[in-house]
Amino acid sequence: MDHLPASTPSAPPLGERAQDCDIRLTMPARAENVAMIRHVCGALAEGLHMPTELVADVRLAVTEACTNVVRHAYAGAEAAGPIDVIAEPLGGCLTVVVSDRGCGIDAGPESEGPGLGLPLIAALSHGFEIEHGPQQGSRLRMSFRPHGGRFLAG
Amino acid sequence: MSDTTAHPLGTDGDTQVAVAIGPLVGPVLRRVVGMLAARADLPLDRLDDAVLVADIVASRALAYAAESVRVRLTPGERTLWMRVGPLRAGGAEALLGEAAGPEVGSVILKLADEVHVDTEGPGSEFLRVCVAYAG
Repeated sequence: MDHLPASTPSAPPLGERAQDCDIRLTMPARAENVAMIRHVCGALAEGLHMPTELVADVRLAVTEACTNVVRHAYAGAEAAGPIDVIAEPLGGCLTVVVSDRGCGIDAGPESEGPGLGLPLIAALSHGFEIEHGPQQGSRLRMSFRPHGGRFLAG
Repeated sequence: MSDTTAHPLGTDGDTQVAVAIGPLVGPVLRRVVGMLAARADLPLDRLDDAVLVADIVASRALAYAAESVRVRLTPGERTLWMRVGPLRAGGAEALLGEAAGPEVGSVILKLADEVHVDTEGPGSEFLRVCVAYAG
C-alpha cells in the first residue's frame, strides 16, 4: 500500500458540504444504503473508464468501508446517523472518502470487525488513511489509481 | 443551501446527492432515484416514471444549477419526493417548461403526482416533485 500523495486535497470537515467534489452522498448509515453507495461509486469509476478489475476493487472497498460505518459508527444509538461519501477524481487517482459523525471506525487490523475489514481495503486500494477522534466521527480516505496512467473522464 | 426540513440531513430517511455538472449527473442520479423508488415500494411503472423524471432533471438542470446538481430525496410509503436545487431564479419553471413535448406539455407535470416551486431567498429556487402510487 502506498501513502496518499501529499497533494491530495483534504475532504471538507465533517458536516460541511463539498463545493467542488464530483459526487457527494449523504444518507442514513443503514445497511440498505450500502448498495446504493456501491452502485454510485461504481458508476463513477466506469464513467472514468477505469479498468474493469479496478472498478470491482472500488465497489468492494467502498462496500467494506460503508459496512464498517453501518455496523460500528452509531452502535448503541437510537437511530442511525448520517454517512457521507465523497468521490472525486484527483489527478490520476479516484479518491473516495467515507465519513461518519459517530464513534468511529476501529483502525486496528486485529479487531473483530465485520467481513474482512480494513486489511481488505488496504489490499484493494492504492492508499488509504483514517482520521478519527472522540466526538468527531471518523473519515476513511481511499485512493484508486489505474496502473501506469491516467483515466479520462467523458 | 438552506434546508427546509426540521431534522438533520441523513438522519431520518433523507438522502442528498450532489454531482458536479458533467456527464456523470445522469448515471448517478438515475441509480439513486431508481433504488430509492424501489425502496419506497413503487410499482415498476411508477419506478420507471421516477427514473424518467431523474433523467430529465439530469439533462436540464445543468443550465440552472451552480457547480453541481443537488437533489434531496425522501422516500415514503409508496411515494418518492425529489427536491432539486438550489436553482437560479426562474430555473425551476424553465426546467418544467423545457421538458415539454408538442401537444403533451411538461413531461414532469405529466409523470408527477405533485410539483411545487419553492423560493428561498433571492435567486434560489427549488423544484419539488413527488412520484407516488395510490393503488
